[in-house]
Amino acid sequence: MIKLNIDGREIEATLGASVLTAALDAGIYIPHLCDHPDLRPAGICGLCVVEIDGVEGNPSSCESLAAEGMTVRTTTKPLLELRRAAMETMLADHPEECTTCTKYLNCELQSLKQYLGVSEHLSIERRNRHIPVDLSHPLFVFDFARCVKCMRCVRACNELRGAQVLKVVEDGEEKRVGIETGESWIEAGCRFCGACVEVCPTGAIMDKPELVQGKRRKEALVPCRANCPAEIDTARYVRFIGDGKYAESAAVIREKVPLPLVLGYVCVHPCEGSCRRALVNSPISLRNLKRFAVEHDTRHIWKEKARHEAPTGKRVAVVGSGPAGLTAAYYLAKLGHEVVVFEALPEPGGMLRYGIPEYRLPRAVIDAEIDEIRNAGVDIRTSRKIESLSVLIDDEEFDAVVVTTGAHKGSKLPIPGNNLRGVLDAVGFLRDVSLGTPGMIGNRVVVAGGGNVAFDCARVARRLGAEEVRIACLEPRDKMLASPEEIEEGIEEGIILHTSHGFKQVMGDDGQAVGLECLDVASFSVDDGKLKVEYVPGSEHVIPADTVIFAVGQRPEIPEDFDVELTARGLVEVDEYSLETSIEGVFAAGDVVSGTASVIQAIASARKTASAVDKFLGGKGNIEEKLAPESEWNPWIGKAGDFASEQRHEPCLHNPEERVTNFCLLDNGLDEENALAEAGRCLNCNLRLKITPVKFWGSY
Amino acid sequence: MVQIEADVAIVAAGASGLAASVAAAQLGLKVVTLEKSSTTGGAANMGMGPLGIESRLTRAKQFQPTQDQAFEVFMNYVHWQADGRLVREHLNKSGETISWLESLGVVFSEPASYFPGSFPTWHIVQPESGHPGPTAAATMLRIMTQRAKELGVKLMLQTPATRLVKDGNRITGVIAETQSGDEIQVNAKAVIVATGGFGDNPKMIKKHTGFDWGRDLHTFRIPGLEGDGMRMAWEAGAMSTPMRMELSFGVADPMALGLEWLPLFHQPHLMLNLQGERFINEAEGNDSFKGNAIALQKDRVCFFVFDETIKNEMKSYLDFINLVIQTPNVANIDEMIQKAVDSKYPHLFVANSAEDLAAQTGMDPVGLGTQLAEYNGFCEHGYDEVFIKPQRYLRPVKQAPYYALQLYPAGYGSLGGIKINYKTEVLDKEWSPIPGLYASGTDACNIYGDTYVFQLPGNTMGFAITTGRMAAEHAAAYIKSLG
Ligand SMILES: Cc1cc2nc3c(=O)[nH]c(=O)nc-3n(C[C@H](O)[C@H](O)[C@H](O)COP(=O)(O)OP(=O)(O)OC[C@H]3O[C@@H](n4cnc5c(N)ncnc54)[C@H](O)[C@@H]3O)c2cc1C
Ligand SMILES: Cc1cc2nc3c(=O)[nH]c(=O)nc-3n(C[C@H](O)[C@H](O)[C@H](O)COP(=O)(O)OP(=O)(O)OC[C@H]3O[C@@H](n4cnc5c(N)ncnc54)[C@H](O)[C@@H]3O)c2cc1C
Ligand code: SF4
Ligand code: SF4
Ligand code: FES
Repeated sequence: MIKLNIDGREIEATLGASVLTAALDAGIYIPHLCDHPDLRPAGICGLCVVEIDGVEGNPSSCESLAAEGMTVRTTTKPLLELRRAAMETMLADHPEECTTCTKYLNCELQSLKQYLGVSEHLSIERRNRHIPVDLSHPLFVFDFARCVKCMRCVRACNELRGAQVLKVVEDGEEKRVGIETGESWIEAGCRFCGACVEVCPTGAIMDKPELVQGKRRKEALVPCRANCPAEIDTARYVRFIGDGKYAESAAVIREKVPLPLVLGYVCVHPCEGSCRRALVNSPISLRNLKRFAVEHDTRHIWKEKARHEAPTGKRVAVVGSGPAGLTAAYYLAKLGHEVVVFEALPEPGGMLRYGIPEYRLPRAVIDAEIDEIRNAGVDIRTSRKIESLSVLIDDEEFDAVVVTTGAHKGSKLPIPGNNLRGVLDAVGFLRDVSLGTPGMIGNRVVVAGGGNVAFDCARVARRLGAEEVRIACLEPRDKMLASPEEIEEGIEEGIILHTSHGFKQVMGDDGQAVGLECLDVASFSVDDGKLKVEYVPGSEHVIPADTVIFAVGQRPEIPEDFDVELTARGLVEVDEYSLETSIEGVFAAGDVVSGTASVIQAIASARKTASAVDKFLGGKGNIEEKLAPESEWNPWIGKAGDFASEQRHEPCLHNPEERVTNFCLLDNGLDEENALAEAGRCLNCNLRLKITPVKFWGSY
Repeated sequence: MVQIEADVAIVAAGASGLAASVAAAQLGLKVVTLEKSSTTGGAANMGMGPLGIESRLTRAKQFQPTQDQAFEVFMNYVHWQADGRLVREHLNKSGETISWLESLGVVFSEPASYFPGSFPTWHIVQPESGHPGPTAAATMLRIMTQRAKELGVKLMLQTPATRLVKDGNRITGVIAETQSGDEIQVNAKAVIVATGGFGDNPKMIKKHTGFDWGRDLHTFRIPGLEGDGMRMAWEAGAMSTPMRMELSFGVADPMALGLEWLPLFHQPHLMLNLQGERFINEAEGNDSFKGNAIALQKDRVCFFVFDETIKNEMKSYLDFINLVIQTPNVANIDEMIQKAVDSKYPHLFVANSAEDLAAQTGMDPVGLGTQLAEYNGFCEHGYDEVFIKPQRYLRPVKQAPYYALQLYPAGYGSLGGIKINYKTEVLDKEWSPIPGLYASGTDACNIYGDTYVFQLPGNTMGFAITTGRMAAEHAAAYIKSLG
């Protein structure tokens, strides 16, 4: 520690600190622009000038080392004049107004203009530079007319990242920052890390407005994590994979979910849907990487730090053993409560086991993950359908109940013929198949509905031997609800699509379905969530079929005696904050609250509920775990040649002819080489959050 | 959640929130001010200065209006579509607000009017360098910020407030989000909301005013003014008021066109709608009137039309200049036009005949031809029979090439939203004050009826600062009454 005097105040500073840093740390504001807490001083902008006893002239405080016994003045009249002049030099090259600039109010230049009291009436001549806005970058907007040549971006790109993309370019007489004229951002080797955006003090480099407007900072900058309902730290597990640390990677995932491998197989991956790499070429294959990490975790380090609280003596009953029930049970058991899960069906897992077909999710995967949940102390009792909650509370003396009974009741469209033999509902059909008791299935199957569940039914029907399997749905092809992969793989497996079809009746012969009468859709639109469909008059035609499966949604089946309040849609009503149902001590989570959603949403919802139940039982409700080791990522990502054009790596699917003959998995996942390459495609969006935010003058 | 204790929590540090912060601290209250952005001052940083009636400066110059005259002018202008009591408080206190700002260290240049016929109530801030001009008020906001901090206000930048905390019917605090995404709670006996309206929220603009931003409206969008305070107050039970845009007129994408065009389209040359017809006395100086009139035309657009002769005249002489467009530099108008054409600015048209102009702009060719003939006749006779534009501005339009610049309703931001009474107390749907909740500035500024009172310039910023002070004073009295 050294002592120096700034503006009459004795302050302390660390050895090696600049006068500017010393002053700022002591709460004395000296205007500055080119200096940035994470970058080496550059002495460019001329704003931070000071007077130092015994030093000639007006040195820049960012470049002057603080020294023992130094006397510094920061606010003398000549200094103010120098600062104004420096400011005017910058403003002379800058547009005259902030009125259309989205950086306004978060701009260091404008804040300095305000602080220094400089108006737009300059005492020097303005240069009107017409530099077009560069919109060619997939993520950022470069408006170099607003550049004040502080060089922060160039320094960040080279000093912090080592990416060597941004530089000073000589364009005739004019020097500017950027990339070579005529070169594209991709050719220049941009790594899309956003360091330049983060450090640019003005509106010269900004995020594309549609990527950030109206969003919280983290959501905008690291959307994969923010879009995961359970907030799995996506970027972090990908980075661990890239470093070859698979156990660490799996531990990151385990910090938020007890069914990591299930998710690696079937998660609907909203993270991928928001991945910023999609704007460059295609999103990171996050789900496959998750599966890879968990399958290659040989050390299970997550177990070392897993939470195990002492027994509390409280008992919790969980009704239903789908992902929601299992998750709630797992966390509550770890908090020391005695947890019993009651499941109506012969085996636990809910829709994981009785809905999702085996070729997408092997039963062994479910078994292994449920074993871990049992290891945490959860008692799962199967083939026990619960009919009344009061029995659990009053007779079996549970202190709290969590209802996670899902949405298992299949629906059929209310059209004539829907009760004929051979007419099934999707979840009933899939459940029977998983129970090993598929009913009769004909040779010609039509599935009515265009979502993922319809494809599950159709593809299962193919595997059961049906020769002619069709899917008919209201939506036109480009609006189908099923994911593009499902559609593509289904077609590969020989499924025939009939899009833009409405349904009139199931045709029957002697009580047996023989076909589905359809109508062509003339127009289809969704307006404010309301579906509007018009049919082509007289377009009735029959698709012949001996089995008709309705895949048009499912809903909860809640026993009368539960006595909980339901919403208009027949879902269990819970309080937004306490997550309690209308009955004290009874909570609910998963599909029974939301309607059919997804595994990850069921897990996320159950995590919140577990926390709420613990609070209800007198705990703190803290289920958070730190399972993976701390990691300081190297911000130096270096130069990479063809980074932008690297294509997404996907596992190789088995060929369709073979696929339809069995219920084996569709693919073997990513191999190590591809997984590493895929992890290497990550833009490292989270590195940007590690850049120290600049404090504006109003914060001193 | 981190808890912070205060007497009064002030949501936002724009013009109004800063005034409230300083005033509350001067009254001895412990103040926490939450601000979404990194810079204080909000929209006001872009402005030039607030209104003052019977201020020290206007009295020294013997400038009109008096408080009584101002009140009459104001209420006649808005046809009593405003809470007269609130207007009176605002106007009567505005002169003293100027002295108060001076006492903080703000220096004003001579009070000014905005257009011929408006009153010199506009107290333009004297910046520390250069002449008073656009953005001059930024200096005032800086000084207010510095005084607030000296007085011990805890100013939290980059900390947007998200919702109010209510205990029974009483407001007892506010929750905000920090830069890292964590929530904090400020517990306070009173909360003042002043988040500057919803000028940066196209959805709210559409919903509450019917305009489609970017299509038929090109108002300034000050980043971050997204109606947060109004939403928070409504959620806490506040009554809403009619909401409007503070209209004037302008071009689409002014930066792409170039700001040097601003003085040009304020000149009193032809303004024609899509039928090719005039619809206003183009020499009308009140920009809000012009904004209103444009908003009544088909597709809410019009064209500012001049010919080669007028263009050349403008190089050396402009009819209208004012403090916003005081140093017009249009001698190089040829270059300006060339640049706009080269950069393919889509709303400027250069045509070699009236027919060509109609074809390019979409104006009705017959209407345009008839209108030009009629107008040129007026110019010849020296009398505008339809809109009585003064003779000195009547210049025929007949020398090709013809130029047309598309104009739209534009302007500053939103007005109104939270219902307050003349004590700045926020009222609930039963017209009873919500204890502990105050609102000021743009969020609560619905005193202009259907048209901004440009007649008394500096009005919005003046209202923001004065009501901010009032909110602090009434909140202080309320807190005292709690014991
Ligand atoms: C065919 C199909 C395919 C799907 N594919 C995917 C996918 O690929 N990816 C994805 O993320 N999501 C998918 N989903 C959705 C996902 O499976 C569900 O959102 C998720 O399983 C919901 O979990 P849950 O725990 O709330 O309910 P469920 O998984 O439905 O579990 C509820 C459990 O409660 C039991 N139960 C019900 N009533 C009682 C009672 N009275 N007493 C005792 N036990 C009872 C049920 O038997 C069941 O085991 C799919 C859904 C279906 C139908
Ligand atoms: C270009 C231009 C020129 C103008 N010139 C003049 C003029 O000369 N004279 C005049 O009278 N008027 C003028 N005005 C209008 C004047 O600027 C406004 O009327 C005045 O600023 C309103 O003050 P306010 O405090 O209500 O809002 P603002 O000054 O806009 O302040 C609102 C503040 O709220 C903050 N905020 C928003 N949401 C939150 C949240 N959730 N939490 C915390 N903080 C939040 C914003 O960041 C901002 O700082 C001009 C406007 C513009 C755009
Ligand atoms: S970069 Fe800053 S100073 Fe420049 S126009 Fe944008 S907000 Fe204003
Ligand atoms: S683009 Fe931004 S960071 Fe780069 S030199 Fe210009 S102002 Fe500085
Ligand atoms: S901050 Fe020191 S010269 Fe720019």
